[in-house]
Amino acid sequence: MSLRPQKIEFDVVWGCLRQTVDKVLKLNRVERDDWNSSFTDVYTICVAFPEPLADRLYAETKLFLENHVKVQLEEFNCYRTENNDGENGQMMLHKYYSAWKNYSQGLEYLNYLYQYLNQQHIKKQKVSEAEILYGNGTTPLAISQEQMEIGELGLDIWRLFMIQNLGDILVKQILQGIERDRLENNLTSKDIETIHGVINSFVSVQDYKKKGSLHLYETLFEEKLLEASGSYFMSQASKLLQSCSVSQYMQEVIRVLDEENVRAHKFVHMNSVKKLKKECEDRMISDHKAFLYSECKEMVSNDKRDDLRNLYILLKPLQDGLKELIQILLEQIKNEGAESIMNLKGENVHIQFVENMLQVHQKYENLISETFKNDPLFLSALDKACASVINSKLSDGKTTCRSAELVAKYCDNLLKKSKSTESEIESKLSKSITIFKYIEDKDVYQKFYSRMLAKRLIHDQSINMELEEVMINKLKQACGYEFTNKLHRMYTDIGISVDLNNKFNQHLKNLNDELNINLSIKVLQAGAWPLGPQTNISFAVPQEFEQPIRKFESFYNSSFSGRKLTWLHHLCAGELKVSLAKKSYLITMQTYQMAMLLLFENCDSMSCKEVREMLQLSHDNFQKHLQSLIDSKILNLDTEKIEDASIISVNLEFSNKRTKFKITASLQKESPQQEVEQTITQVDEDRKLYLQAAIVRIMKSRKVLKHNALIQEILSQSKVCFAPSIPMIKKCIESLIDKQYIERTANSSDEYSYVA
Amino acid sequence: MDEEDKISDSENQTKPEKMFTLKRWNSVAMWSWDCSTDTCAICRVQVMDACLRCQAESKKDATNKDVTCVVCWGECNHSFHHCCISLWVKQSNRCPLCQQEWSIQRLSS
Repeated sequence: MSLRPQKIEFDVVWGCLRQTVDKVLKLNRVERDDWNSSFTDVYTICVAFPEPLADRLYAETKLFLENHVKVQLEEFNCYRTENNDGENGQMMLHKYYSAWKNYSQGLEYLNYLYQYLNQQHIKKQKVSEAEILYGNGTTPLAISQEQMEIGELGLDIWRLFMIQNLGDILVKQILQGIERDRLENNLTSKDIETIHGVINSFVSVQDYKKKGSLHLYETLFEEKLLEASGSYFMSQASKLLQSCSVSQYMQEVIRVLDEENVRAHKFVHMNSVKKLKKECEDRMISDHKAFLYSECKEMVSNDKRDDLRNLYILLKPLQDGLKELIQILLEQIKNEGAESIMNLKGENVHIQFVENMLQVHQKYENLISETFKNDPLFLSALDKACASVINSKLSDGKTTCRSAELVAKYCDNLLKKSKSTESEIESKLSKSITIFKYIEDKDVYQKFYSRMLAKRLIHDQSINMELEEVMINKLKQACGYEFTNKLHRMYTDIGISVDLNNKFNQHLKNLNDELNINLSIKVLQAGAWPLGPQTNISFAVPQEFEQPIRKFESFYNSSFSGRKLTWLHHLCAGELKVSLAKKSYLITMQTYQMAMLLLFENCDSMSCKEVREMLQLSHDNFQKHLQSLIDSKILNLDTEKIEDASIISVNLEFSNKRTKFKITASLQKESPQQEVEQTITQVDEDRKLYLQAAIVRIMKSRKVLKHNALIQEILSQSKVCFAPSIPMIKKCIESLIDKQYIERTANSSDEYSYVA
Repeated sequence: MDEEDKISDSENQTKPEKMFTLKRWNSVAMWSWDCSTDTCAICRVQVMDACLRCQAESKKDATNKDVTCVVCWGECNHSFHHCCISLWVKQSNRCPLCQQEWSIQRLSS
C-alpha cells in the first residue's frame, strides 16, 4: 500500500470501513486483516486526492453512530410507557447497564480505529484553551459545528439519545434500588454493580469535558438523590425518636452514618459522599440538637463516657456544635473542683488541696483524652475551669486566695519529711507544677516557697539536695530564669558552704590547730535569702563561740576580699553535752540557749537580770529562750514568772529517759498567721515595684502611649508572675507621674509620655 | 547510743568534769560586700546583686549562670560595681560621689 494521497471512491471505501465499524460497536469478532485495512481506510479517506474527505467521513460516522444508538433506544421503549416497579425496574437497569457497557467498550475501540482522523484532522481544528480564554480566532461557526474526537462524539450521541430520553426513568429506578438497600438490605452484588455502573455512566459520558464534567451528574441525579435521602433520614429520625432514649438514638445515628458512608462509597461518585453525609447530619443531628442536649448534663455529671463519646462524634462535624457541650463540661469541672477543695480542715489542708484538685484535673484530662480525642477546645475549657477554681477567692470572708501558699506548703512538705521514695517525690513535685501553672499569683507562691526553702536549707531539713535542684529547675521551666534566680542562688550557697567548710578544716589541720567542737558554717549571700533585716538583734557572743568565729573570719578574709560576715545567731543551733550527777546528755538547742547554759559552768545560780545583761539579749529573746529551758526542766526558777530578780539555777536532779534530745524553743518568731500576712504585704510591695519598673520600661520604648494600650501591655508583661488589679496599676502610674518619670500629654487626657 | 555513753563515761573519768561542753555548732553567717553604702550610685542597684547591664545580659541568655559582677573600691573608699565604674571612668576619671581622682584600691572576689 502506498501512503501517498490517492484518488478514491468514497462510497466504496466507507462501505468496507462501515462493516468493521458495525462489528466493533457490536463487539463482534473482527479479523486482524480487516482491522488493519480499516486503519488504512481511515487514513486514505483523510488524505484523499484531490481533496481530503475527512469531513465527509466524520459526517457519515456520526450518522452511523446515531442510528446505532437509536436502535438501542428502541429496545427501551416498553419501559418508557409502562409502570416500572420492582422486578421490571431492575430489569431495565440491568439492560441499560449492559447496553452502556457494550457501547462504551466498543466506542473505545472505535476511537482507536479513528486515531488518524482524531489526531490529524480534529485536533487541528480544536480551539486551543488559550484561544477560548482570550476570544481570538473563534468564529461562531467553529464553535457550533466543532468536530469532536470520535470517542467523544459517541459519548455525546449516547447522552443526547439515551440519557436525555431515559434519564428520569433510570434515576427513579436507581433511587428505588438505593432505598431497597437502605430498608431491606437485600441487593445482590450484581444489583449493586449495576446501580453503580448506571450512575457512573452519567459521569463518564461527560468525562472528556474540561469544565463542568459533573454537570449532568449533578443536575440529573445528585439533586434527586439528596432530596430522597433527606426525606429518608428525616423519617428515620422521627421513627427513632419515638422509641429511643438519647443514648440509643445516638448509637443508631452513628450506625446510620457509618452505613451511609459505606453505601455512598458503594454507589455514588466521590463528590457526593460528603454532600450525602452532610444531609444525613442535618436531618438526624442538627434538626434534633435540643433532644441530644436534653441529657447532656447528666451524662457529664454521671461520667457516662460512652454516651459522651457518641455525642462528641455526632456534634463535632456541626458548626459550633460542641459549644454547649464544652460549656456544660466547664461548669461541671468548676463545680466539682470547687467542691473538692471546699471546707478543707485539719493540718493537712495543703495536701488535701493539691491532691483533691489534681484528682479532679486528672479525671477530666483522662475523660478528654478518652472520649474527646484530646480536642484542644476541651483542653482549654479544662484549663479555664481549673484556673477559675484555683484562683477563686474563698467564700468564708477572707479576701485573699490561699492557693499559692497551699501549693508551696505542699512542696515543702514533700521535700522535708516524706517517707516516699525519691521517684515518688519527684513525680508528686511534677504534678504540683500542674496546679502551680494555674495559679495567677505566682509571685506569692515564690515568696512562700523561698521562705520555706530557706528554712529547709538552713536547718538541714531537706531530704535530698538533688530533689531541691530538680524542683527549682521545674519552676524555672515554668516561669523562667528571673523567677528562680534567687532560689537558685540559695541552693548554690549551700553547696559552696560545704566546700568552704572542708577547706576551713583543711586550713586548721595545716596550722595544727583544733577547735574541739564539730563546726559547720553556712555562709549565705546577702540579698538572696528571705531573712529580713538582722541588724537589731543584740547578743554578746560567749567566748566558747568567739574562738571559732574569729578563726573562721580570718580564714574567710584570706580567701575572699572585700567581704564582711554578719553572724545570724538566731538561726544557729548546736549540741551541748550536759553532764549531771547521774547521766550525761547530748542536747540539741539554739545558740542563745547554749549561751545561757554555758554561763552556769562556773556558778550555780544567777539572777535573771545578770544573765540578760551578760548576754545582752533583748527582752523578748531572753524570755523566750529562758522559758524553754525552764520548761524542759534543765534550769529552775524560784518564782512563777520571769522577773529581773528571779534566781535561776541548774536543776542538778534533771533526768530524762533519753540521752539525746532536742529543746525546741519556739523556733518561729511569729505565729504562722502573722507570717502569712507579712508575706502578703511584702508581695504587695514587690508588685508595686514590679509594675512601676514595667511601666517605665514600656514608656521608655514607646515614648507616647494611650492609657488603655499601656494597661494592656502591663497586663501581658506581668502575666508570668501575677495578675495585677487595675486600681493598683493606676496607683503606680500616678506615683510615677509624681516622681516625674512620665507625664500626661497636653492634648489628650488619657495619654502619657515618657520624661527622659 | 550505749556505746556513746560508755565513751562519754570514760571521758568523764579522765578529764576534770565539766558540766557543759560544746560539742557541735551549726552556725549561719551572711556575707555582703564591705561597703558603706548598699547601692551602687551609678546604676542604683544593690551592690550585692549584679549591675543592671549584667542582669539584662543574664536575662537574655538564661543558660549563662550568674555573671560575676564584682565590686570595686576606690582610694576614696567609695564602692561601685566594677562594670559601672569602668564605664564611668572612660568619661571622667573622678569618683562620682566625692570628685576625687579615681584610683582603684581593691576589687572584690
